[in-house]
Amino acid sequence: MTTSSQQETVFSNNQLSIDEIPVLKTLTLLPISKKYRALNVFSIGMVALVLTGIATGLRFQRFWSLPENLVLAYPYVVAGVVAIGGVWALYHFFADVRIFYAIREQDISKQSGLIFRKLSCQPILRVQHVEVNRGPLDRWAGLASLQVFSAGGEMHTFEIPGLSLERAEQLREFILAHKDIGAR
Amino acid sequence: MTAPETSSNLASHSGESHGLKDDASIQSQGSEAGLAEPKLNVETGGDWQRLSLISILYFTIRNITNAAQGLVYAIPAVAISFNIWDNLFSLEVLIGVAVLILSTSSSGVISYLMYKFRVHNQHVEIHHGVFQRRYTNLPLWRIQNVKIERPFYYRPFGYALVVLDTAGSGKEEAKIVAVPEAYAEALKKQVLYEKAQYDEDELEEPNGVNLSNGPGSSLPLRDTGVRAPDYTHANEEVLNRRSVKDIIIHGITNNRVWIILGVAAPFYDDVFGIVSKWLADKGLQLNQIVGEQTVAWWQFGLYAFVILMMIMALVALLSVGGALFTFYGYTLSRAGDRYIRRSGLLNKLEVSMRASRIQMITAKQDWLDKLLKRVNVYFEQNSTAGQQIQELMSPNKLIVPSVTEYEAFALSQEVMPGCDLRTQHYQTISKRFIRFWLLIAWTAPLLGVFIVGAVTAHVDIMIGAATMFILVALLLTLRWWRWGIAFDTKYVYIRRGRIGVDYQCFEPYKAQQVIIKQSVFMKRKKLATIKFVLASGAVTVPFLPEEYVYQLADRVLFEVESTRRSWM
Repeated sequence: MTTSSQQETVFSNNQLSIDEIPVLKTLTLLPISKKYRALNVFSIGMVALVLTGIATGLRFQRFWSLPENLVLAYPYVVAGVVAIGGVWALYHFFADVRIFYAIREQDISKQSGLIFRKLSCQPILRVQHVEVNRGPLDRWAGLASLQVFSAGGEMHTFEIPGLSLERAEQLREFILAHKDIGAR
Repeated sequence: MTAPETSSNLASHSGESHGLKDDASIQSQGSEAGLAEPKLNVETGGDWQRLSLISILYFTIRNITNAAQGLVYAIPAVAISFNIWDNLFSLEVLIGVAVLILSTSSSGVISYLMYKFRVHNQHVEIHHGVFQRRYTNLPLWRIQNVKIERPFYYRPFGYALVVLDTAGSGKEEAKIVAVPEAYAEALKKQVLYEKAQYDEDELEEPNGVNLSNGPGSSLPLRDTGVRAPDYTHANEEVLNRRSVKDIIIHGITNNRVWIILGVAAPFYDDVFGIVSKWLADKGLQLNQIVGEQTVAWWQFGLYAFVILMMIMALVALLSVGGALFTFYGYTLSRAGDRYIRRSGLLNKLEVSMRASRIQMITAKQDWLDKLLKRVNVYFEQNSTAGQQIQELMSPNKLIVPSVTEYEAFALSQEVMPGCDLRTQHYQTISKRFIRFWLLIAWTAPLLGVFIVGAVTAHVDIMIGAATMFILVALLLTLRWWRWGIAFDTKYVYIRRGRIGVDYQCFEPYKAQQVIIKQSVFMKRKKLATIKFVLASGAVTVPFLPEEYVYQLADRVLFEVESTRRSWM
């Protein structure tokens, strides 16, 4: 029997007491990149700005006259955009620093959520494929998100957002190099 | 083996099985030449094959139904802009109808001409589509499910429709529209065999003996019958049969009306019109009854009750019809490691599912089922997300309709040995579940309605809101009462429902993902929600003790990661 560099070439099936089973509760959680929050708040700001810009442009342009009602609605529209954008940004401001992830030998976990905390754990054995995703803003900020697909369906794609590119690539390599992957 | 030999062999085969040797099967000889070499060889060689001529009928019917579905929406527009009934036999209408009939029927021929297929080098390849040409290439070992359908107009000629299904997506479904039944069976066996081989190769180290026949090998398997005796129908064992009585019970307890209602949907308005006209003719005018004080309220109530009863009876009758339509002659059998369901009145449908693919057993018992002591058992396989298939036809869910409680127990034992749904000690969820949903979802709107009632001094609105609130609270309480989870080290069980009870059972090692959810408030009360993602869908149990949830999650993850067993 040779012991390879990877875990468990020798089969063992010893009786385990409950205490010996790995415990989720004591996971050491790693935070995602701090830039992620800044990026989100920034992009929400941009969206709000663009929307107010459009509304303002429409309001004050001189090419054609708007109906009276729309002119009256203008301040409310702006206020609405600012309010929704504000709440949205506020949510990200507090929630994004609460996204954590953790890697164990056999699985990856993510914790997220502000009021409703969610801890999902994805065994690597069940991974069907992995993607590193980068939108234009992500690329600009040097971030990436890791998407892990299992047979659980689209709805349950495991995603860790806001990772630095190196970290995302590293995680992807880790998952791909895992000997169980593809064994299904 | 030469082609003429094989084709006659084939024809006699289909002829024998039905005691008929029709024009269609004789004509098809030429086109099917070389299809079936001795018994189980399904390879057609490199040449593209045409379907049997009978497929024109299939294509025509399919195109007509497709066209009709599209046209249903156009009918009102046409009817409004152009009063058809006045000029029923005018030239335009006749031309229109003629064009429609001609185009749909010729479209069948065109579809037929544009369709070719071959089974070559262990791949099923199909070219089809008229405007949008499609090419489907399915390796035999990738095929998950083989369905053999026999539309009633195929049956006299001994033809069948083979539907090949892959795990990937619903779009990758391939249909070989018309082949002789014997060939369909042979293809099915071959696919199942191939699949088993492939899975074996994946699981174990290939030991050289099987290698030559492994995936990608271009040699057709000649010794299939010997090597894989499990896949022949001789070894099939029938596990469950449903009699007509069972199916009638199923029709009554489960609303299968939609099977018929769905078909009749375009005619609703007409039907309602006719019914109200009929009622009016009988001197029964609803607005008269309600509007005037000529009838005492109890009389009115009686009328309403009688009408309701009549409608219920009609619905039940329709439902029974629907159930008979789909489940007539239901058998569930086991061949090797597969479960096969066959049923259908006009169209015989066959669905088969590998035992190892079953992710979950669900036993559903509605309140009426409970009274009659019947259970619907489902074996759920991996679902292809976003795919809308009718539940009953779905290859992802194998339903055993309205079995008795004992049979349900036996069936669940059959699929998951040692699984006992009823006698588990279920960990029930916290009562906070009721409070949470009442507060978060129902209090505000109902309070709003109540206040509106109070302000406008409408007692009935106030009473209505209060009743609604109590009703919701009652339903939530029932839901809370039922909802629970159990784990007996081998299976995870979930019980849920309101008035009826659903039991679900799955093997923990088949979990794809485990999710624990906890709101800030739940954390304070040491409660948590657990969600298991399986290939067949997700199951959630809310408001469990935190300690229990974490323990269970750890156990399940450990089960997945330490046993390393395949979920498929």
